[in-house]
Amino acid sequence: MTVAETDDVVDRPISRLFNEFADAIYTLGYRIVGDRHLAEDVVQETFIKVIRALPTYRGDGPIGGWIYRIGYREAITVTRRRREDPVDPMTFQVTSVPAATSVEADVLNHELVSRLDDAMSQLSEPVRAAFTLRDIQGLSTAEVATVLDVSESAAKMRLARAREALRVQLKEYL
Amino acid sequence: MSLTCDDLDAMLPEFLDGSVTADEATLAAEHLATCEECTAELNELESVTKLYREHGTMHLPDESRKRIAGSLGISE
Repeated sequence: MTVAETDDVVDRPISRLFNEFADAIYTLGYRIVGDRHLAEDVVQETFIKVIRALPTYRGDGPIGGWIYRIGYREAITVTRRRREDPVDPMTFQVTSVPAATSVEADVLNHELVSRLDDAMSQLSEPVRAAFTLRDIQGLSTAEVATVLDVSESAAKMRLARAREALRVQLKEYL
Repeated sequence: MSLTCDDLDAMLPEFLDGSVTADEATLAAEHLATCEECTAELNELESVTKLYREHGTMHLPDESRKRIAGSLGISE
């Protein structure tokens, strides 16, 4: 769900917000942190903060953007904590594979998803975040800038850097 | 006025986002019509986005979803 589609959800109950944004925050968390268990922590911590802050949410923007911002900050916090205490060496495990119609297709999908994960893991964290929000989750560039708290031109620069690096790395799939 | 490859390269982020002006879009289209290299680059950049749109979204596993929802005290 994009931020623009969430303008009217400020009055929705937390369960509905959780259902609508859990996958999005999980994706953002995973793409930044690179570990599915830690991405689950990002989801949990994000919604703890959403529940706490929702009564005082001023509604001065789409609620989706607000939730993405909390999720992004949470992912950064988890990433920094992980750098200080690297207990789990696993990064970018393949956890989500689209439905396949045969064993061969399944293997190819695994290989592709794994390659996409590897390519993204080569990007710096800010660049990865911008690409995830814009090109995977479909936010507008202006929305990406707001979530990341950077100027629109900085968001554009990060996006251009991500796309170009991925284009070079994934040449064989394009 | 016509665009060079460098001009188009600088414009690509806006072009991919569809945030160029009508005049810029016309100039870009004119350049792309005559430049195979830039057309190939643009197609590849669009393919990158398409690949990740289709394969990059993660789904919180059901078991984890239930566990987290339970810990938050919310019913799905």
